[in-house]
Amino acid sequence: MADLSFINVSKRYRIFHEADSTNGGPAALRKVRRMFSGWQDFWALRDVSFDVEHGEALGIIGQNGAGKSTILKLLYNITTPSDGEIRIKGRLSALIEVASGFHPELTGRENVYLNGSLLGMKRREITAKLDSIVDFAGVSNFIDTPVKRYSSGMYLRLGFAIAAHLDPDILLLDEVLAVGDADFQAKCIARINQLKQAGTTIVFVSHNLSAVESLCDRVFLLRKGEIYKSGPARQVISDYEQMLTEMPASAPTHLTTVSESPEAEIVSVSLLNSEGRKTTMFPAGDPIRVAVEYVAHEPLEDVAIEVYFYSVFGNLHCHFSTSNDGSRLNLKPGNGIIEFDCAELGLEMAAFNVEASVKRREADFSDHIDHKHVAVINIGKGKPIHGMFHQAHTWRQRN
Amino acid sequence: MNIVDTTALDAAKHDVAPRRVSVIRAPSFSLRNLKGDLIKLWQYRDLLYTLSLHRIKVRYKQSVLGIFWAILQPLSMMFIFTFIFSLIARMPQEGAPSYAIFVYAALLPWNYFSTGVGNATNSLVSHSQFVTKVYFPREILPFTYIVAALFDFGVASVLLGALMIYYRVALTLNVLYVVPIILVLSCFATAISLIFSATQVRIRDIGVAVPLLMQLWMFATPVIYPLSAVPVRLRPLYMFNPMVGIIENFRQVVLRGQALDARSLSISAVISVVLLLVSYLYFKHIEATMADVI
Repeated sequence: MADLSFINVSKRYRIFHEADSTNGGPAALRKVRRMFSGWQDFWALRDVSFDVEHGEALGIIGQNGAGKSTILKLLYNITTPSDGEIRIKGRLSALIEVASGFHPELTGRENVYLNGSLLGMKRREITAKLDSIVDFAGVSNFIDTPVKRYSSGMYLRLGFAIAAHLDPDILLLDEVLAVGDADFQAKCIARINQLKQAGTTIVFVSHNLSAVESLCDRVFLLRKGEIYKSGPARQVISDYEQMLTEMPASAPTHLTTVSESPEAEIVSVSLLNSEGRKTTMFPAGDPIRVAVEYVAHEPLEDVAIEVYFYSVFGNLHCHFSTSNDGSRLNLKPGNGIIEFDCAELGLEMAAFNVEASVKRREADFSDHIDHKHVAVINIGKGKPIHGMFHQAHTWRQRN
Repeated sequence: MNIVDTTALDAAKHDVAPRRVSVIRAPSFSLRNLKGDLIKLWQYRDLLYTLSLHRIKVRYKQSVLGIFWAILQPLSMMFIFTFIFSLIARMPQEGAPSYAIFVYAALLPWNYFSTGVGNATNSLVSHSQFVTKVYFPREILPFTYIVAALFDFGVASVLLGALMIYYRVALTLNVLYVVPIILVLSCFATAISLIFSATQVRIRDIGVAVPLLMQLWMFATPVIYPLSAVPVRLRPLYMFNPMVGIIENFRQVVLRGQALDARSLSISAVISVVLLLVSYLYFKHIEATMADVI
């Protein structure tokens, strides 16, 4: 049999309505009633069937809400399907960072034991791998220090190093696939390739289309909880890129955090292509216009509105700012829009998180009045742009 | 959780050991899954050990009094009750040389129960970062609090020993009956913890209600008074509280050096074991979709 089978799997989430405050007696009674009737069903996956053969690397792509993370959760047994059956042959592990489970008072060593056993490792297995884990994370000198004294980088690296030392038959990878600096990322990627070469079956769920393309043999495109397309990586990815470009103005201006900043807030952000259409798919090197809608609750002097493009690894690749040319921006109370125009977006083919902020011009880089994650964009085939940053340039041929 | 472990017949060519096949299905109440669940739990025994150990370490790591907190709690309750019930009001102490040792001998197992259940109730909610991120048998979380409370029980027992020497209470071989008594108590505390912690995931009122419930429950149990003080006509109903047989027997074998009362302990044992089975099935049912609602 295949290493992994989904057999007619469906997953239903029950969404409970907020209690209606206008009718129906006392609040407690309404709450109780809501538990029995006030819900709506949402099918995150509908009748999905597939097999992953031994040694195969499968990529799963799709927009937010298509069901990607539901598949991950089901595979990892964090939740169970509402219908259907999943068969998993062998030991399945996810390459995730587990640093959020660290206990600050315990030392690095104690946390490695704690989180290693949480991931299903035996104590003697951890003892055997301890040196290698500590070395991988680069925290050898601090292993008997409480982790509350660690820098955030050390924290994440150690959390990730533990997961990287599991010996799975089936490996799950998702967006948080790499953390830390370029060196550490290279180690992680080397580890994944090593596992792949050893014949580990891989399931990779990501927005990062170029990473999916380079790692996976076969790709599924999920849409509304169903497998919309499946086939060789290159083919499905280019279909998906096409689909994203043609998509009408459904571009995500959804804001993921709700902050209640007293002074000013980012309301929405639209990403527009050369034709002035909202999209989340941009060919490399194409023009982009970013429209940031804000609301100021009081007059603000000398502020800056900024847009950031972060890689899925958390590195800042590019940044637009109203303070770019040294000019002052004053906001009057009420709504307004700031538009940024960029003639050539110098990002390479990958997925990027777009964030926007409003801040005081003289404030520290991370000291924001309001800061929100606004979208994930995909850079597709366009101009040949490679590297961490792109520098507009000219050239000539001389004989 | 609905996991059936069978051994793959078609072990892949390169593999030396055959790889297990796990099947994940929609949750259902059934005894059939019980075996698979228990196998999974056994596979994760190292996690239970490590997590319990850390639970104990963390509790004492940054406190000045450290391990003495385990003694301080029953000790201070002993002082309060002794002050009230031997100086202000007279409470029968049934053959014990002093009310202090009479009440301490009951507070010891009672505190194991109430501390264990109290902490375990919140265990899933307070570890939601684990629950939504990695898979492991979730019952391990409440279990670790029971283990930690049992450790505290062991520490606080030292003071009971000291009190017995001070009041010249002779120890007999009957003290060995403590082992089955504590076993029954552990089963019961575990069962209640499974029910409370699983329910707390969806209905957070449980966590608020538990301290109140524990207070009332203590007065419905012969902790500050002897069983003999309970009117005989109320006894049949009263004995349905499994804590009655446990506490009363504990005091009997330790302080009075008598053999245990098999009838009252077996009532507690039967209720505890049946409840443990039912609560485990209930817990596993809730566990299947716990991460969706936590």
